[in-house]
Amino acid sequence: MKTAALVLLLLALVALPPLAEPYMLHVAIVVLMNAVYAEALYVIMRMGYLSFGHAGYIAVGAYTSALLATKLGMSVWLGFLAGGTAAALLAWLLGMVTLKLRGIYFSLSVFAFAEVVNAVFRAFDFFGGPAGIAGVPRPMFFGVRLNTHLGFYYVVLGAAVISLGFLYRLAATRFGFTLLALRTRDTEGLAESVGIDAARYKTLAFVVSCFFCGLMGAIHGHYLRFVSPFVFTFFFSTDLVIFNMAGGLGSFWGPLAGSVLLTALGEQLFAAGYYKSLVYAVVLLVVILALPGGLIQLPRLREAWAARRLRWAKQPVATTER
Amino acid sequence: MEVYLPLLAQGLAIGVLTGILYVLVALGLTLIYGILHIVNFAHGEIYMLGAMAVLYLHVVAGLPLVPTLAVIVVLALLLGLAIERGIFRVLRGQWLQLVVASVGISLVIQSVGWIAFGIQEKSVPSYLPGIVDLFGIRLPRERLLAAGVAVVLVAALYWLVYRTRVGLAMRAIEEDEETARMLGVNANRVASLSVALGFVLAAVAGAFVAPVYSLNPGMGLEPILMSFLIIIVGGLGSITGTVLAGLLVGVIQSVGAILFGSEAAYGLVFVVMIAVLVARPAGLLGRV
Amino acid sequence: MTCPHRILTLFAVVALSVVPGLPPSAHAQKPLKMGAIVPVSGPAAAFGLGVQRGMEFAAEDIGVFTVAGEKYKLEVVTYDTVYDPGKTVAAMNRAVYNDGVKYGVIIGAGVHPPILPIIRETGFLDLAFAAAGRQITNGENPTVFRIMASSDQLYQTHLQPIIERLNVKRVATLGPNDELGKNDAKVVRVQVEAMKAKGVQLVAEEYYERGAKDFGPALLRLIAHKPDFIETDGSPTGSIALIAKQARELGFTGYFLNSTAVLEAKAISDIAGKAGDNIIALRIWAKPPTQLYAQLADRHQKKYGEAAPGTMWEAYAATKWVADVIQKTGTFDTKKVADALAQSTYPDHPFGPASWGGEKTYGAKRQIILPIPAAILKDGKWEPFDVRTGKFD
Repeated sequence: MKTAALVLLLLALVALPPLAEPYMLHVAIVVLMNAVYAEALYVIMRMGYLSFGHAGYIAVGAYTSALLATKLGMSVWLGFLAGGTAAALLAWLLGMVTLKLRGIYFSLSVFAFAEVVNAVFRAFDFFGGPAGIAGVPRPMFFGVRLNTHLGFYYVVLGAAVISLGFLYRLAATRFGFTLLALRTRDTEGLAESVGIDAARYKTLAFVVSCFFCGLMGAIHGHYLRFVSPFVFTFFFSTDLVIFNMAGGLGSFWGPLAGSVLLTALGEQLFAAGYYKSLVYAVVLLVVILALPGGLIQLPRLREAWAARRLRWAKQPVATTER
Repeated sequence: MEVYLPLLAQGLAIGVLTGILYVLVALGLTLIYGILHIVNFAHGEIYMLGAMAVLYLHVVAGLPLVPTLAVIVVLALLLGLAIERGIFRVLRGQWLQLVVASVGISLVIQSVGWIAFGIQEKSVPSYLPGIVDLFGIRLPRERLLAAGVAVVLVAALYWLVYRTRVGLAMRAIEEDEETARMLGVNANRVASLSVALGFVLAAVAGAFVAPVYSLNPGMGLEPILMSFLIIIVGGLGSITGTVLAGLLVGVIQSVGAILFGSEAAYGLVFVVMIAVLVARPAGLLGRV
Repeated sequence: MTCPHRILTLFAVVALSVVPGLPPSAHAQKPLKMGAIVPVSGPAAAFGLGVQRGMEFAAEDIGVFTVAGEKYKLEVVTYDTVYDPGKTVAAMNRAVYNDGVKYGVIIGAGVHPPILPIIRETGFLDLAFAAAGRQITNGENPTVFRIMASSDQLYQTHLQPIIERLNVKRVATLGPNDELGKNDAKVVRVQVEAMKAKGVQLVAEEYYERGAKDFGPALLRLIAHKPDFIETDGSPTGSIALIAKQARELGFTGYFLNSTAVLEAKAISDIAGKAGDNIIALRIWAKPPTQLYAQLADRHQKKYGEAAPGTMWEAYAATKWVADVIQKTGTFDTKKVADALAQSTYPDHPFGPASWGGEKTYGAKRQIILPIPAAILKDGKWEPFDVRTGKFD
């Protein structure tokens, strides 16, 4: 039943687009990209790490690919992989330092990293400075440059299916479950006491998460045909966190639902820049306060509330997690 | 470029004054984070609301300064109590949800601010215009006023936390909550009070920094980043740490900008923060 | 939640989210949609609202018009970009592909690069409110017209005369650390260097982060070189007011120059007090240059209860001009309209007679040529300083 539904969805995503208008294809592309970003972030959120700087890794991926394509004329397909690799490499290097931190310290260090990345891109003309890099080319496919919405849609779809598939399998493997065990400082200690090398798992998770961010970031840059320090901002990182939380952190489907729903909703709230932020924030607060498992838990609401009422009574005032 | 002593001296003076302003803004955050370990992202927005309140009550409606401040204190207190009861208390124990919820609150206030406060840049005329010339170093009076307020509030906070029963209760909860509760400390009241006071400190900071710069609904973003930076560098739970870190950051920014340029100075501050985090994860004066 | 339900729900949500985006049904009188792809919320909202309101006034004044025997009415559709490149791309996609908009005013040099491909591919007629220069209006973008004076034009027209008139010799620049700031600084440098023989020199060049409030350190570096004239590029109202205030606190007594269109005298004098005096602003009319200008100003004040942002008049004029050309050529084909537009002149622009230029400098005749004013702030009010028509090949 489950596989049948999935196959149906996949067929629809592949077969319907030629009938669709370019605007709908644009929305579909943005939804797919956000879904991958959200799920990539979810990998490290499962282990209790909140990142307000993932946009930095996305930017690294986008810039790497854009630079390779515009300055070296390299194939865009290779550029995508290079973007993912660059982000993963940077994640590995920085992870050695930042993963030792927990809680808000980690979040702020990743945020600082993202700001430094954007500042570096703004400061040097090699990266295009504040104006960014324009004229980033679309990939070539059997001699045709994929400049149309439809053509590029399939690129995004392919990358999204592969990425989401990989991330889904990851969550269901032993690796994925081990990450859950590392959620707080205490449980991490517990895990180590049974022989789990927490540092290795955390680093690997971080690297995987950033690889997919970089990969999709590169694709994002080639979709816009433009990269600049003002595209992947702190607000973008915050949006990804909101997708995750609103969707629900209980399973792989949560962030997927969150990103799809909120991105689609955002597109509808068009003439309304700050109204969109307001709606996102209100949805977020409603979910956090009233829907503990996220939007994906909507059908099982009553059980979730009952469980939560039990927990309230026993909580300490000063949270122990820092 | 020629860097000579009077320039550096002026730069140092600016740095110290700016640093004290940072401390003023960070105090509220220190209190809430120090005692409850709650990351209050909405701090910057309360600061903004404090400034906007001065604009609408004092400048537009004509209420004299002292009653305006009194109103601001009361409103901030009530808002703090409401948010603690309604949101923080509900999410106790869930660190992730608390942080993200406070981000949500911040976004709501900011969005409403942008929608409500209109398009023209706003400002509050200076409470004390003019400068004081001290041995050739020029110090704007309104910044000295804000610095004075900061000193008073730091002293008041010290007195509260270290010399009163209420402060004792707060420190007890922070140190060992279970024991404190067993000894009869009312944890809920400590929580409410801490948050309410934190909000009052933020709003008052906004009220006194308002005339120094200009006002707009997004003005809360930079203060909150700076404040976080400062309490992390200074050390969780330490008022002294916050003061030291605030002054340090102010001076680094100012002197760094003079020596290396503004963009470099901006990055330098982040680099310093990361360096401190790596070398002393608990901050300069923090205890783990 | 069982898996098939999850997937079907997801599917339904995605489907539902695109349905409302379907194009609306036809009207009795055919609408000619013009897009206002501008920031109407957030920090840059003043610019966008000026454009939106100017376009709406123009639509009212044009009323019903006839093209190729059919009656049309102008309809202004706003797409909020919040001055963000990603959102601008989304706005263009929606406007062009979903709503079938072919004409519009777009604000922002920083957000144009990603939408230029769409403009080229669809032939969208872009009336650009963008301070840059060749990057946007050039031979490759025949349907992009800049409806405001470009940075090159501003400084080439005014900087040297101002420097001579004020008899200043030491020029410094302090601009925002982004594309506009760096661009402007480059142009200023070229202009000042050409005056070397008269003893004028560029003594310092500094940048600040957009949104910064404390210019103390940057100003200190600048003031160490003892300038008598600080050029502030396109710094917005809040920034120039704070720069003036803090510079005077540090002992600077010279002049400031600014080139932003939206600069409110009252806001500056509120924030900076007396320190705001001697700010010279390009593109600010201290006295209405034409009756039409004054009428539009009053109209805005009556309808919205506040002074009109500087972008309103140019947007009004551009809208009417294009509508005129469409009527004369009798077609909506944007390429034909673009050609006709470039060859035409518009004597009824609120600023004065307008035409197009820029063939030599930009490779295409797509830069508007208009009278450009300069005003100086004294006692919280703008006073006229100079008016010159940008001579621009």
